[in-house]
Amino acid sequence: MLSNIGNTLLFLNILLGISIIYLSLQNLKNSKILISKKIYHICLFQSTFILICFFTLVSAFIISDFSIINVYENSHSLKPFFYKFSGTWGNHEGSLLLWVIILTIFSFLFLLYNKHHPKNYRIYSLIIQNVLILGFLFFLFFNSNPFSKVLPIPKEGLGLNPILQDPALAIHPPLLYIGFVGSSIYFSAAIASLLTNYSGKLFAQSIKNWVLISWSFQTLGILAGSVWAYYELGWGGFWFWDPVENASLLPWFAMSALLHSLIVLEKRNLLYFWVIVLCLLTFILSVTGTFLVRSGILNSVHTFANDPSRGVYILVFLSLMIFASVLLFFNKFKNTSYNLNSNSKETFILINNWFMIFYLITVLLGTVYPIFTEVLTDHKVSVGPPFYNTVIIPIVILFLLFMSVGPQIQWIKNKFYNLNLFFKILIGSIFINFSIVYLFKGYSLLSNFIIISAVFLVISSLVDLYKSYKKIKENYSRILSHLSFGFLILFIGLNYNFSIEKDFNLKLGEKKNFENYSVEFKDLRLEDFKNYKAVIGEFKIYNSEKNLNQFLYPEIRIYENPSTITYEASIRSGILKDYYITMSNIDRSDYYNIKFQKKPFMIWIWISVIFISLGGFLRLYQNAKKDY
Amino acid sequence: MRIKITIFFIIVNFNIVSAADSSVELNKVLKNLRCLICQGQSVADSNSEFAQTIKLVVQDQIADGKSEKEIYDFLVEKYGEWIVYKPPLNKVNSVLWLFPYLVFVIGGLLIFLLLKKRNNH
Repeated sequence: MLSNIGNTLLFLNILLGISIIYLSLQNLKNSKILISKKIYHICLFQSTFILICFFTLVSAFIISDFSIINVYENSHSLKPFFYKFSGTWGNHEGSLLLWVIILTIFSFLFLLYNKHHPKNYRIYSLIIQNVLILGFLFFLFFNSNPFSKVLPIPKEGLGLNPILQDPALAIHPPLLYIGFVGSSIYFSAAIASLLTNYSGKLFAQSIKNWVLISWSFQTLGILAGSVWAYYELGWGGFWFWDPVENASLLPWFAMSALLHSLIVLEKRNLLYFWVIVLCLLTFILSVTGTFLVRSGILNSVHTFANDPSRGVYILVFLSLMIFASVLLFFNKFKNTSYNLNSNSKETFILINNWFMIFYLITVLLGTVYPIFTEVLTDHKVSVGPPFYNTVIIPIVILFLLFMSVGPQIQWIKNKFYNLNLFFKILIGSIFINFSIVYLFKGYSLLSNFIIISAVFLVISSLVDLYKSYKKIKENYSRILSHLSFGFLILFIGLNYNFSIEKDFNLKLGEKKNFENYSVEFKDLRLEDFKNYKAVIGEFKIYNSEKNLNQFLYPEIRIYENPSTITYEASIRSGILKDYYITMSNIDRSDYYNIKFQKKPFMIWIWISVIFISLGGFLRLYQNAKKDY
Repeated sequence: MRIKITIFFIIVNFNIVSAADSSVELNKVLKNLRCLICQGQSVADSNSEFAQTIKLVVQDQIADGKSEKEIYDFLVEKYGEWIVYKPPLNKVNSVLWLFPYLVFVIGGLLIFLLLKKRNNH
């Protein structure tokens, strides 16, 4: 029943997509200034239908309708309500439906909120966006249909992979999708802009809020994924440079570059073609990321549900997209003269883009390189954290310095370089760094530079904040994001250098001492929960320096549906540090393998990222206030 | 003069601070090794039997006084380059290691030329 409703709605949406394209093409021919009301109505229907379609799937998950193969494979009647709900997008088909929803809703909203832009530009954006919608709808309907039936109807579902049953991961896909699927709208707008020669400041204004939305959500989505990896995967890190993580980072680099160069286009009417390249690149990278993740071509920690036929479809679609946009771009490209001064804000924004592209290329190359070596030379290589750290970190130091200086520079031409002030800030940062070293512990030369440059950015941003406050100049959004980025790097640096990690084996009742700590294995018990059994250990952490006791309870969980064993970390989060313990059994032995970690400032890493994205939302709010 | 003194102290400080000890850290080595039978986990993070074996091997090698590089070379010879997360710089991996820097240099050059062109006007 629900399956039929869903399929009908999907089919209707395909028809609506086709009719929007048809009517839009008709509308282009007539000479009226306004877009026909009919198109608005159909777009509204399109958005409504796809939402109903989504809620149909959600209901199928909630009432556990196992006649639908997708529900059967990914849900279970005993699963908690919240995870039945979030299970809807915890699989390939459901998440693809979410993908189409965002394409559709953004298409409608973009049409609605750009009334003062020319008709042709809006119509072309709508057409391109609907071509994308149709592309993904066909894929959804014919290859990855979330409403396919299974016969005979099973009595019980197979259950959602337990490591996906987690609140951070439940919100991770929607956030990330608003981010990188949202970038589709400026992909369409960029093509429309090339087709209709609608360039310059007005074009920048029409897309800037959409870039802000996608960038802010992408930032939050990456954060949610990272938080999940921290407490679910059990290795205590928050970034592994895993291909799937990289896939979410690549569009973020492109968006960040776009976010900055768009300001130049809006204020100075420069860099138009570069902005177009970034618009096209962001969405192309998003689709590339999806291709890499869904085709199962890469070995990754979270490859979920892969199937070669999906890969082929996405790859064909992706190639067409790239081919068409490159062709159009070079057809329209004109060599424009630039008017830049070396110490102007424009130049510093270009420098931002220069670094962003460097990060992007490095991460992209590192992610796809193993595929190429394997295909071309039959040589299997792994590209992991040490590669990225070696290549990227030294460059981050320079980047942070530019990031501190850039915002202080004026547009067009800056006559006055406040070198003295920067020198003082630099001395202050170096002083703070050495205070940390002398008071606590030394670290490598590279770490010294990282901490100095991060502190430099933090102080410069604070000075900037003070100046803004005095002059009452509305630039808090940028300062907030830059300040938080400085803090992010600072806390990551401190976290990296002041972490303690110990890996040892203990028997019940035993105790392990190291540095100022002792870890005692106090108790072990078995408990039954609604959808799993758990072996729970009790550990006493004693800090002899502060005479402080903490208790942690790591678990080994045995899930029935599907039958899986997971190792749950026990984390005691604090303002200054997290304690982190995982426990795992060793075969044929009474001993348990214990991983103990002390991770300073973890919570501040998360908070910094939240504030980076809040900067984006603040700017969005300011823009909205200005417009209405 | 004051600036010179400040700079002098900074240099002295760096020399003291960066005198890191030269012993090989077990955990650091284990983090740079892939657990070959796992899905994208390092040896340090995995509990599999393979990881346990490699942990012992690396421990022994460190006890024998081998350097970090010697340990990696030994494992690469035995299991192939797939095991190390930092691909060694050789003919096959040269593009991986050099291309990012090439992009960086070209990018910098482009911006420089753009500005220079303007100054000549």
